[in-house]
Order: sequence, then structure tokens, then C-alpha cells
Amino acid sequence: MFAYIVRRLLWAVLLLIVLSMVTFSIFYLIPQLGGASPETLATRYVGRAATAETVHLTAERLGFFDPVPVQYWHWIKGVLVGAEYDYGAGVEHCPAPCLGYSFITKQPVWPELLDRAPVTISLVVGASLIWLVAGVTVGVISALRRGTVFDRGAMGVALAGVSLPIFFTGLVALAFFSYRLGITAPGGQFVPFSENPALWAYSLLLPWITLSFLFAAQYARLTRAGMLETMSEDYIRTARAKGLPERAVILKHALRGALTPVVTIFGLDVGLLLGGAVLTEKTFSLNGLGKYAYDGIVNNDLPKVLGVTLVAGFFVITANLIVDLLYGIIDPRVRLE
Amino acid sequence: MNHSRSWRARGLATVGISAALVLAACGGGGGGGQQGSSNQSAQAAFDAAYTSVVNPSDKKGGTLKFANPADWDSLDPGETYYGYAWNFARLYGRSLMMFKSAPGKEGNQLVPDLAEAPGQSSDGGKTWTYKLRKGVKFDDGTEVTSADVKYAVLRSIDKQTFPNGPTYWEAVLDLPSGYKGPYKSPNMNTDSAIETPDEYTIVFHTTNPFAAFEYLAQLPQTMPVPKDKDTGAKYRNSIVSTGPYKFADLQPGKGFNLVRNDQWDPATDPNRKALPDRFEVTVNVNADDIDNRLLSGDLDVDIATLGVQPAAQSRVLQDPNLKANADNPLTTRVQYTTINSTVPPLDNIECRKAIEYAMDRIAYQTAYGGEFAGGNLATTLLPPIIAGHTDFDLYPNGPDHKGDLDAAKKSLEACGQPNGFATNIAYRPERPKEKATAEAFQQALSRVGIKLTLKPYPAGDYFAQYCGLPPFVVKQKLGLCLMSWQSDWPDGFGYFSQIVDSRVIRETGGNTNLGVRIPEVDQMLDKALAELDTDKRNQIWGEIDKRVMEEAVIYPGVYARLLLLRSKNATNIFVSDAWGGYDYLGLGAQK
Amino acid sequence: MTLPPEVGTGAETAVPEAVLVGAGPAEGRSLGQIAWMRLKRDKVALGGGIFLIFLILVAIFAPLIVKYLGYPPNEFHQELIDTAGGTLTPIGRFGGMSWDHLMGVEPVNGRDIFSRVVYGSRISLLIAFLATLLSVAIGTTLGIISGFIGGWTDTFTSRLMDVFLAFPLLVLAIALAGVFPDQAFGLEGNQLRIALLIFIIGFFNWPYIARIIRGQTLSLREREFVESARSIGARRGYILRTEMLPNLIAPILVYSTLLIPTNILFEAALSFLGVGIRPPTPSWGGMLSDAVVYYTQPHFMFWPGMAIFVTVLAFNLFGDGLRDALDPRANR
Repeated sequence: MFAYIVRRLLWAVLLLIVLSMVTFSIFYLIPQLGGASPETLATRYVGRAATAETVHLTAERLGFFDPVPVQYWHWIKGVLVGAEYDYGAGVEHCPAPCLGYSFITKQPVWPELLDRAPVTISLVVGASLIWLVAGVTVGVISALRRGTVFDRGAMGVALAGVSLPIFFTGLVALAFFSYRLGITAPGGQFVPFSENPALWAYSLLLPWITLSFLFAAQYARLTRAGMLETMSEDYIRTARAKGLPERAVILKHALRGALTPVVTIFGLDVGLLLGGAVLTEKTFSLNGLGKYAYDGIVNNDLPKVLGVTLVAGFFVITANLIVDLLYGIIDPRVRLE
Repeated sequence: MNHSRSWRARGLATVGISAALVLAACGGGGGGGQQGSSNQSAQAAFDAAYTSVVNPSDKKGGTLKFANPADWDSLDPGETYYGYAWNFARLYGRSLMMFKSAPGKEGNQLVPDLAEAPGQSSDGGKTWTYKLRKGVKFDDGTEVTSADVKYAVLRSIDKQTFPNGPTYWEAVLDLPSGYKGPYKSPNMNTDSAIETPDEYTIVFHTTNPFAAFEYLAQLPQTMPVPKDKDTGAKYRNSIVSTGPYKFADLQPGKGFNLVRNDQWDPATDPNRKALPDRFEVTVNVNADDIDNRLLSGDLDVDIATLGVQPAAQSRVLQDPNLKANADNPLTTRVQYTTINSTVPPLDNIECRKAIEYAMDRIAYQTAYGGEFAGGNLATTLLPPIIAGHTDFDLYPNGPDHKGDLDAAKKSLEACGQPNGFATNIAYRPERPKEKATAEAFQQALSRVGIKLTLKPYPAGDYFAQYCGLPPFVVKQKLGLCLMSWQSDWPDGFGYFSQIVDSRVIRETGGNTNLGVRIPEVDQMLDKALAELDTDKRNQIWGEIDKRVMEEAVIYPGVYARLLLLRSKNATNIFVSDAWGGYDYLGLGAQK
Repeated sequence: MTLPPEVGTGAETAVPEAVLVGAGPAEGRSLGQIAWMRLKRDKVALGGGIFLIFLILVAIFAPLIVKYLGYPPNEFHQELIDTAGGTLTPIGRFGGMSWDHLMGVEPVNGRDIFSRVVYGSRISLLIAFLATLLSVAIGTTLGIISGFIGGWTDTFTSRLMDVFLAFPLLVLAIALAGVFPDQAFGLEGNQLRIALLIFIIGFFNWPYIARIIRGQTLSLREREFVESARSIGARRGYILRTEMLPNLIAPILVYSTLLIPTNILFEAALSFLGVGIRPPTPSWGGMLSDAVVYYTQPHFMFWPGMAIFVTVLAFNLFGDGLRDALDPRANR
């Protein structure tokens, strides 16, 4: 087991490096397909009506004249040991992990990531708990009342949740609940938990519900399927024959078996979402990692995008690892090699 | 296997549920929401803030809340290039001259701010001398001297540290060759460009006569910066103020507050009333949210001065109560399209004239938002606000302004393309209005057989690599390039210098002059800059306008108007011609 | 889950590497016959299927439909827009709905929404189908090979899947689509865009199929009929082709059908974010993006939104039904 973990961790580090290389390539190599030069790349980071001189100086300052592998090396070195940043009137030391300075705002990326991570984490953790509880509950009840109106209705609504694009549901929900009815917070109103827990929850209420609507569907269906399967197993019949109360039968025995795949998927979903809730954050104007990434891409701000990609990759890889480990523990049939 | 799957029948019913949800949300569409009726007793009329001061008051105190849909390019007065930023910077900085804080045309006048009086010119307009007021202090108590102003201007020349700002100083001042700014060339003697004979006098020397120098003196780059507190690219996070307010709680990317600067002495400052106690500014706020909060009173000002979003626009224009609380100023921005003479068959002036006649100007206006949010139909390049503008229309497009197809067809014959021709039209897809305009061109010109193909190019590189790169324009046959231009400041030089001077066109790209190459115009520009008499100078701008239009290389669309919402909390609300929006210096707050 | 997190439909079928998935064909009657019987009984899935056929026909015959029932999709009708009052929204209720314009017209330019939705179906279906094809082709190949051969090949392919799974897919898709030049590889304009979108969506989604196929292959490999084929000396290629592949067709078909709606949503998301198909070519996501600006009057969002919703729903219903019909052990 220990060896397995170590191997996976090493693999995780390798993956992160590969990820950063791919991102680098996208920003530097793809434009060259269209014939871009270091100067043309730099024109995005100067103001209006910049002279050719300014563009050249900027390209120089941002290191565009170095070959791409050299630029990458500088960046990796910064991540590992830190880097120096020349702000004109002086030089600032950027401690490790130094993920660079935004090309546009010239702010260091790592502190900004740390600043925005709580928003995404709040969004995802809140929504995931809601969809887990709601989805599983609805799934269990649906399984128990199979074929009834509740079952059909719930599964139908579940299907709808899965079929609607979140930027559509989100916008309609915002327009209706926030602006027309005024019962939920309008977009962009995040309040940190440390500042005011009640307002924090209020500001995230609509995004939580909209996002979990999307996922609860799958979890309801999954739980329902799992429950139906376990409930028809022999050991459930045995438990009932032994005289156990129905509640114990369902919750202690059937549900546990049904939940294994759910837990697996849950871990993967949360991991992915932590790194990529771009659509939700953009729709609700939440300043999280997703929106940060989107802003970075739209402005061709490579340091920002690199930073978020790494963080996202980290979350996904960690989630994958945790889930695989858990699965190895929960299900004795599985052997981790 | 007899488990029922007909639960999925309900799935189809949810189509109905969602439909109902959406229809309920849209029921009644657009009519005034619950914030519709205003409770202001003394209600000003629509567009009143252009000609008068709305809610005049001298009451001190209160807080004003501002929001920006994006972020400043930089708060550092040495490297910011947006009108709203210059408007706002006067709250925390004092430049040599400034635009008067007054409504309408009066706002276009330059008055001395840090200087005691307007500059004295000598040497045929090549030397400009200013005397500073005494007793002006930085927010740490040190007195401002002419050396601080000189330092501020010189540091802005370092374009490697400050790539964002305007480039006038390095173009105009007589700097020693190879000067790279105070960080990289600290020991160079720069007296040839700027002299400071004593603590309160500053003298500028330009290489060529520059009659419009007063406009340079109002640039925020003349706001003094203390050398020992200058942190280069990081100064934007720790600006030392000379204005009535100073920074507090600045969080980059999120926002900041302005609080009173106790070192600001009103006796040295006849131009500012400094009524509010505090400004709270948030950046990167969703634009539609900004509009909603303006309407509900949770926000006072949308600082970007770009006008309301289409959703709010519909609401405001349909509800008379909301409309009465809005203003609709003309700005110095013109939406136009260049007709590139480097792309055949548009090298023939008659083919260009065909486009001038055939285009539907009403569709252009509608694409930009109609009469209120788009603007007035334009027939000249120079907008009405800028002195020197005269009304003329060289290419009348019919009584309904939708195009004179007969005249267009005649021109087509004259240029040898009686059945029309094909070319491409470039625009920036991130701007929905440009997209709509390009589509409008496509539709309108097809009526005379001119077939346009839409070519979207990303806004970030539009001037660097696409429409602003002459070889690309030729290679890709970009006959038309959509353009939007606002003067850096409201005079002919501030408007024309970058868009009609052929000598600033670089073959390597990065041009804002996308296609005007008329040697006569270049000479007229030089003549204007040497003309010290303001009225005569303004006349020359008008002549340049005509000459450019005669070449049919520009298709003017609209003189931009903005639809702005007034704050419910603010006092002294007025629109100034200098900014094409609310003057931020004059505002006060009720609470 | 390998799919972009907010655009997923198939989480419940994605499994981590450590789990074996068992499945098998029913013996006796041919699979196809049994499946068809079951499918016919499932009215809802059938309904979904019929709608899909209808949709495909609409996409194919779009020019004809628009010619008789609508107006050219890029044609302006600004006389139907309120230019006098300045709101630039269609005159009339529900976004200008009328017998002439069945779904109303767009604000600002007055284009017929019905025609644009009909033409938009072409883009959405084309990209989704081809992208799915790409994913399935790559995923099936790699899944079978790695499941059947095992050993290093399997380990390598699984690691490769990990790499793809770790990508923040939406971020990279946006980046790639935003940065890609307008002309490359001999294509340009919308053709290039479409090819790029198919590549991005299809190429990054192959692990989804590969994992499932690998799992199925792993379990099939141990079954008796494969053993017996091996024992009579059949070569690997033969076994793959005649024994395994037919039994894999079922899951391939099912998960393809379930992958298509995800791809439709993905393309819509990319268009919504502005990196999809270039205007004025209509696409559902692009239309939503344009309509968002008028969100207080959701009429304009309604039609493209519903188009996406109903299409995705139909695919899901049909795919579910197909899965139930083909896999007797799935208790739904």
C-alpha cells in the first residue's frame, strides 16, 4: 500500500509537469501556427496606441525572445526556488512557489490564487454537500417507492437537471429569483465565511442550488440504481428474515452497498469541479479560480492560466488518488497494484 | 424485468416545467420592475445633467459607491490611458492644468490646477513655462515642488516599466537621445526637455512647436510623484496623493476606498469642493449587476462611462420614471469604418464612393444601440463637440438615410464594377455592436452587388496584427475595417493625431490609423500645431475633416451617445463635455 | 468523471481504474432481437428516438424548411424592431412571435429566430456526432487493446488516461480555441473552427469510452467462449474481431448515444463563452450568448435554450432506453 501511494505521488508530480508544459505550448506554440512572433505576442500586454518600441521592450521584459524551453525553465525554477521581479524602481523577491506575475495586472499570481481559492471551495463544497444529500435521499426514496408518481416525477426532474446547460439555468434563475423576485442575492456578492457566515451562505445560495441541480440528478439516478440492485440481493432478505427493522435494513445494509459507486463518483466530481467551475462562476460573477482562469485566457495572461491549471490539476489528481485509495479500502475485491 | 420505466414520461413533462419557469420569468417582458417608480420629489428631466446641475448641494459628508465592470489599466497616474481614469484621478492627484469641473461645454475649458496660471509660451510654441502654487502637499506632509512634477513626467517615459500610458511626452519633448527614464538612465541630464529653475517653476522644451501644449499639461502624467516613494510598476498599489482624497484598503483586482487627505489644503485649490467623506470602489463587477444596483440605489456610479447594458437600456427607455433619471450625453467618440485604399478595387475612389452611398446608416445606428445608446447619425469624421467641427455631408444617402442606391450604382459604373465586387470586412467579435454593424454592412451593400465576407479578429490583437498591420490588410483583402475612436482629449489634435496622420503608420503593425494616407492632411496637421491662435487652429481641424472625407476613406457611422443612469444618492450630478459622462470631481453625497 | 464537470451526463458510468465492471450478452435469441423487443416496449425511449430522427431530418433539410417556413437566417428585419423608442427589442409580445416569424425575431437586427434555430441544429449535431465518433474511435481502440493485451500496454494506456483526465478540460478548451489562429492546416474560417471544435471535444473525451470498453474487455477476456477460442488455437486478432467486438458493440453504442448530448452541451458552452463558431453562422450556444444580454426578457434565451434542452433530453432518454434494452442486468 505504501509503495502504491509513493508511486502515485511521483506520478502526480509528473502529471503536473506535463500539464504545465501543455499549457505553455498552447500559449506559445499554437500562435506560431498563425505566424506570430515575440512582438506580436507582446502587443496584448501593452496599452492603447503603444509604439513599436514599447512593444519590443515589453516582449523583452516578459522574456518572449528566449526560446520556449528556456522560458519554461525560468518558470519552473521560479516555482521551485522563487524568482526576482524587476518593477522598474527596484527588484522584488518572489518566494517559492513563485507562479509568476500577471502580464496584465503585474500582481503576483500565487497570492491571488490563494485569495480566490476560498470562493471556489465554498461554492463546490456547499453545492456538493447539497447534491449529495439531496441526490441520495431522492434516490433512496425513489427506489423504495419504485414506480410511483414520486419516483417518476423525481427521475424526470433529475433528467431535466442533467439536460439543461448551467449557463442557461443559472441565468434564468438569476433573472427570476434575484432580479424579479429579489429573494436571492444578485451576482457577484460573495461574502467570505470568516466575515459573516450567514451572508456567506446567502450570497452562495442560488449558485449552490443551480449547480447542485445539475449533479443531484446523476446522484439520484445512481443511488436509485444501486439501491434497486442491492435490495434484491440475498443478504437483504436474510436481514429481513432475521427480524431487523426495515429502517436498519435499508440504511445500514442496502444503502452501504449502493453507496460505493456514489462515493467514488463524488470524489471525482468534486475534484474536477474545484478546478473548473468556469461556467458557474462566470454566470454568477463569483471571483473564484474558474473565473480567474477565464479572465486569464481571454486576456492571454499566461501566468494566471498556468497557475489555475496547476491548481486544478492538483485537485483532480488528489481527488483521483483519494478515491482510488478509498475504493481499495472499501471494496475487498479490489486489489491495488 | 418488469420494473417500470415510464417514470421517464415525467422527463418529458419537465420540458413543460422549465418552459413555464421561463415564461413566468418573462411575463410582461421589460416593463418596469418593482424598482420602477422613483421617489424623488424634485425630479429632473431626461438628459438634464448636460445643461444643468442635478440635485445641487453644498452639503459635505456621505459615501459614494463606484463600480467598474473591468479593472483600471493602472491606477498609477503615470500610466493610465482611459478617460474615466483621468476623470477619477483628479480626486487623488493634481495635474498642472485640468478640465474645469462644470457642466456641458464649460467642462471643456482648461483651468490651472497645480499651476497658478495657464502656461506661458515662448520660442514660437516650443517652450512652455508654468509656475506652481505654493503650499500644495503630498499626503505625507511634504511639500510638492517642481522637481516632483518633472520626475513624474520623466518616469512615465519608461515604457518598459509603464507600457500602458499615452506616449505624448516622448514624442514631443526634446529629450536627450537614448534616454530610457529615471530608473535606467538616472544620471542623464534632461534639462533640454524639462527644466526646474526653482522650486515652483517648471519649463518644458519641445522639439517642434506644439500649440496645443495645455492639453498635455492636463495629462495625469503631470501629477507629482515623490521620488523616494516611487516603486515603479508597484506604485499603482501605494500611490501618494496630492488631491483631496487618498487611498485606503487597496486590494488589487477587487477594489479600494478613498478617504479624506488631511494634507490637502482647500485654500490652494479653487477647483475642488471635495464634498463626500469617502469613496468605495469595486472593480471587476458584472456589468448587468452594476445596472441593476444603480437602478435599486445600491450603487452610485458606473465608473467606466460606457453606458448601460442593453437589458437595462430597454427597461429605462420604456419606463418614463426611469428615463427621467437618465442622461444621454454626446461624447467625443465616433463609430466609423475605414475603407482601405490599399485593397483593390477600393484603390479607385469611385468604388469607395459607392460604399459611401450604398450603406444604410440607420442600420449602423441601430446596430450600435439606436438613437439613444448608439448616437446621432454621423457624416463627418470630427464629432460635434470638438471645436472646428462643421456640418457637411459629401455623400447624401437618401432622405431616409438608408442609402442612395442609384448614386451607388453610378459610382460602381464609374469605377468599372457595374455589378459590384467582393471584399472582406473586419471587426472584433467580442464587441456585439461591431458584430451587428458588420452584419448590417453585409446586408446593406449586397443591395448593389457588393458582397462582403465577415472576418472576425480578436480585439486584443486587432491593431497589432490584423487591421492595424498594413501587409495583413492587403493580403487578406480587408476592404473595410470597423473602428471606434474617442479623442484623448477634446480638441483636434487629441482626436486626429493618431487616426489621420499617415506618418505614424508603421508597416510592422500596431496602428490606429487604419487607412488614411493623404500627404496634404499631414501638412495641415503640422500647420495647426504651429498656429498659436486658438480659433484659427480650430478652423484648420475643420479643413482636415473635409479633406479626409473627400478621399472617401472613412465611412462615419454615429457620433456616440451614452445612456447613463443617475445616482439616487449623489448630489451635483452633471455631465461634462471633457469626459462625455458624469464629472466625478463635482459629485457630493446625500448620505 | 472525464467530462467537463458542469457539462456531464454520464458520471454514473465512469469508473476508477481499480474496479472491474461485469457485463455480458444474453444467450439464446440474438442480442439485437431481444434489444429491439425491449426497446419497443419502452415508450419513452422510443419517443426520444423518434424525436432524434425528426431532429436529424430537420438538420438535413434545413434549407428547405427555412425556405418555406422562415426567412434567410442572416437577413435583417429591422422594421420589426423598436428603433423609435430606442429599446431595440422586437415590437409585439414574446419577442415578436407571429405566423410569419414562428419564434420571433432577434433584438437589434430582427433576424428570424426560427431559421437560426433550425440552421443551428446542423452545427450542434455535426460537431457532436463527429466529436463522438472521434472519441469512440480512439477510445474503443485503446480500450480494447489495453484490456485485452494487458501488461505494460495496459499500464501505459491507463497512465495516458490519467493524463487526459487530469486536464482541466474546459480551461484548456477555451485556451486552445481562443488562441488558435484563423488559418492553419489549409483550412480557414468556420471550416477550421468546426474542425478545431471537433478535435478538442472529441480528442479529450476518449478516456470516457476507453475506460468502459477496457472494463468490459477485461471481464469478457475471462469468459469461457474466449477461453475456448484460444484453446483451439485462434489468434489474438481473430478473437478480438469475432468474439470480443460483437459483444462490445452494445456498450459502445450505448455510451456513444450518451456521449453525444454531453458534446452538444460542451459545444454550446464554448460558443457561449465566445470561442465557438464565428458569427453570423448561427449556433445554439452562440444564440444563447447573444440573448443573455437581454436576460430580463428571456424570450430570446428561450428558443435556443429549449432546443439544447430538448435535444439533450431526447438523447438521454433514448440512450437510457438503449442501455436498458441491451443490458439485462441494469435495474432501472
